Amino acid sequence: MNQLSKPQRVFRGFLLGLVILFFMFPIFWIFLMSFQTNEQILRIPPSIFFEPTLINYQALITGRLETQAGNLDIAFMENLWNSVFLSSSAVLLSLVLGVPAAYAFARYRFRLGEDIAFTILSFRFAPPLLVLLPLTLYFEDIGLSNTYTGLIWVYQLISLPLILWIVRGYFEDISPDIESAYRLAGHSWLKTFLKISIPLARPGIAAAGLLSFIFAWNNFVFALVLASADKQPVTVGALAFVTASGIQYGQIASGIVLSVTPTLLLALYAQRYLVEGLSLGAVKG
Amino acid sequence: MTEVQLSLNSVDKTYYGKKIETAVRAVKNLSLQIKKGEIVALLGSSGCGKTSTLRMIAGFEDVTGGTIQLSNRDIHDLPPAKRNVAMAFEGYSLYPPLTVRDNIAFALKAERISRSESDSKVIEMAKFLEIEEILDRYPSSISAGQQQRASLARALVRKADLYLLDEPMGQLEPQLRSVLRVRLKQYLQVHQMTTVLVTHDQTEANALADRIAVMEDGELQQFETPTQLKHKPANIYVGTFIGEPPMNTFAAEVKPTGKGFQFRLEETGEILDYQAVDFQQSLHDQLIKHKRIVLGLRPHAVKLGKGALMAQVISNQWLGDQSHIAAEFANKIIVAVSHQRESFKLDEKVPFQLEASDLHFFNAENGNAIAHGLEI
Amino acid sequence: MTTLQLDRVTKKFKADVVLDEVSFEAKAGETVVIFGPSGSGKTVLLRVIAGVHEPEEGKVLLQGHDMTDVAPEHRDVGMAFQNFALFPHFSARENIASPLTALGKSESQIEEQVHSIAQLLKIEHVLEHLPRALSNGQKQRTALARALVAAPKTVLLDDPLRNVDAKLRFEMRLELPRLLRRFGSTVLYVTQDYREAMALADRIAVLLGGEIAQFDTPESIYLRPDSIEVAKLFGEPAINILRGKVNEQANRVSVNQNQFIMPKGFHNKAGKFCEIGIRPESIKLFREKRVGAISYEVITITPLNERSVVLLRSQEGLELLATYPAEEQTAKIGDAFWGMVVPEDLLLFEIETGQRCLSERN
Repeated sequence: MNQLSKPQRVFRGFLLGLVILFFMFPIFWIFLMSFQTNEQILRIPPSIFFEPTLINYQALITGRLETQAGNLDIAFMENLWNSVFLSSSAVLLSLVLGVPAAYAFARYRFRLGEDIAFTILSFRFAPPLLVLLPLTLYFEDIGLSNTYTGLIWVYQLISLPLILWIVRGYFEDISPDIESAYRLAGHSWLKTFLKISIPLARPGIAAAGLLSFIFAWNNFVFALVLASADKQPVTVGALAFVTASGIQYGQIASGIVLSVTPTLLLALYAQRYLVEGLSLGAVKG
Repeated sequence: MTEVQLSLNSVDKTYYGKKIETAVRAVKNLSLQIKKGEIVALLGSSGCGKTSTLRMIAGFEDVTGGTIQLSNRDIHDLPPAKRNVAMAFEGYSLYPPLTVRDNIAFALKAERISRSESDSKVIEMAKFLEIEEILDRYPSSISAGQQQRASLARALVRKADLYLLDEPMGQLEPQLRSVLRVRLKQYLQVHQMTTVLVTHDQTEANALADRIAVMEDGELQQFETPTQLKHKPANIYVGTFIGEPPMNTFAAEVKPTGKGFQFRLEETGEILDYQAVDFQQSLHDQLIKHKRIVLGLRPHAVKLGKGALMAQVISNQWLGDQSHIAAEFANKIIVAVSHQRESFKLDEKVPFQLEASDLHFFNAENGNAIAHGLEI
Repeated sequence: MTTLQLDRVTKKFKADVVLDEVSFEAKAGETVVIFGPSGSGKTVLLRVIAGVHEPEEGKVLLQGHDMTDVAPEHRDVGMAFQNFALFPHFSARENIASPLTALGKSESQIEEQVHSIAQLLKIEHVLEHLPRALSNGQKQRTALARALVAAPKTVLLDDPLRNVDAKLRFEMRLELPRLLRRFGSTVLYVTQDYREAMALADRIAVLLGGEIAQFDTPESIYLRPDSIEVAKLFGEPAINILRGKVNEQANRVSVNQNQFIMPKGFHNKAGKFCEIGIRPESIKLFREKRVGAISYEVITITPLNERSVVLLRSQEGLELLATYPAEEQTAKIGDAFWGMVVPEDLLLFEIETGQRCLSERN
């Protein structure tokens, strides 16, 4: 029963191939598109054979787009930098706040503990649109509109719950006896937290951090509403390619490739941690 | 001559992994003939193949090679339900929505007996295993030990050709284990139930079994009565596995002297001196062939008080019905057992002697037994 | 000199009272074993002493100082856990060194002390390994080394031999007393195995249902148990408990139609019912009739390592378990024996309370 027969293996390979095709095809196509001119992209029937060109990337990097209707300034590289800055800062802040909080939830029973934890998780379920309108008004009032601070703060809604829930599971999996043993060896609570608890939860912290980074990077709605042009990340910045003279598919494609590449690389590099972190944290012994 | 009830013939079990290289041969060419009414224990440490063997007999694993016969019919190809075998599992597996009483009675459903007969059987069994008070409770509300006894009851109450017990006492408190073993053995003997039980606890195997099959790494080491295993272990593995306090082993050089033998312990140089008259001629001839052997000695061989050898007392442990005196000799800890309350001064050097008849001699290369002092 | 004292310590988990006004003390260098069945509160007790749990009521005193509110790292306590609790990301060496690094010792001092204790526990060859590369026996010794290396005043051992195979457990039981003696600390040792308790303890605290049922030397507990419950916990197989009626002269007690000779000094029990306890090893068996002996038939014989357990049944239906040395095992099922119990070996217990009856001589 453990051996798959030859036809079963072939069939399994075929199914896997289909699945890979299904998921990878859009990415593959966009990658191709990023090396084509608009005319090549819009040609019917579409073809995978063409003369590759770098003008799309050139336009993004130099910040100037030359079209039939005229020249356009593109702030894509600024948007890329905004994405990096906003996502990293948000995740960093979430880690600093979330990891100790996760520890508290894991180790201590306090009144309404579960309720508070669940409330924080519920932020992930709630549609962002729910809070956006009130937020814009408040932000105007307290002067946080279109500030990095404001955005990083709002991004906590995305990253903090994730870190809390994943890392909490990891801390719960560490036997309290191990921490007690370090305390009994003569070390203070803080030393124990830094030398024992955090290192042992590291896979979970890494996984949670990575995942939060990806979600923060992909966020569209918050940045759209709460940021103006100079603070916008790539998700919003891509809208600029929908111009009066037509949709610049080529630039969109290269923009997508550039925005997806960092997170894709990070995820590929850390995919082992991601799967381990997500499942281990969830399954309690 | 009691007839053979269960027969395993060259049974083999291999577990295949993803690659050819990760195949594990869990049971290697195992042959056992078990008589009707006999209680047999499969004994060994984890991974030795005993559980795989039990599962093959039950039908939960396929037999990779060889055959199994029960009551003279081939069962290795039959599904478990058709084998007429009852099994008590290690994980007790009681049905949660049924009371203990109904769990046990469930096993009797397949037998066409009257309700009153079924009831009385359940009560008889419950009395036996001392779970009468919990008959009407649910599995979730009783202790691990009680669950295990209920699971046992469920397996034993059926009429079957063979009873399989997987670590039947693992969850019970030590004092209860002894009492229950007596009851279980009594029940199995009175009702002439052919039983195969799996355990890693040699105390349990010794207590319950008529014969014990010691397994290691998928291979059968020896299949004999507990007494035979104790007095004539086939190799060092069996010798050191069976018995508590365990057998001590010492690597020794054999030096025939004109008048007998000297055994020089390799690690520390102590010399055990024996006259020729201590050994039978056949034993003498066997020993002559080897330059190096491994000596085995059991606790009752250590007679403290007088002798040519010296050991240093490291602890006196009185356990109520016996005393264990531990002493260091030739870099090992030997234990003398006394059924009186006895103690020696700590750290004192005490003389002792070892009778040749109490020694076991093993081949230093392959661990097999050369001869046993008792054969003298 | 008392180095450890518990004063009416009570610990609750939600509504569950796990420790109920537990009090006892241990002298310097003494080994006290905390013994009881699972769920009796032994591990919680140890953790309260370690400072991992805080008691609801009561005090913990170490070296005469009230440590009840003191954090674990300041109690000078070494602890070995049942599931070892080794730091998975530290090597065995770093594990053992951890109590020494907290004391701010120099590298070379730490090196020396770690090496010394590793040699003692025979694990110096695996010091560089991570816990996952160690066998259970090696893990247990590493945990022990870590608990002992800084020579703390109090050593807490939470069932350290539980997760170790039978062979090694037996060996360690013989070696531990010598090891602990070398350090001279006050040791609190938790176990469920009565043999371990009797072998290692200077005194045993029997913990039942969160309360101390008896706190005495192993000898006193075994020979003079305070209650049936305590008597049943020590000895394998468990003590035979039978209901009997004492005659008017208080020199015989009858269990149905069988009679045993009573020990002297129980005139206050004349004509009354009581529970009698007979340890299996107290029943001496003879082939020939003796005065006061009862005739039994052998029903089952079960070896128990160095002894044999035999189920006996008298003609009148009385069933008893008896044990004798394995070398003397010649009996077969169906054999007849005469069994005698030395009167002084008979224990009497009150029916309602299960408490042991004391003779007029005590």
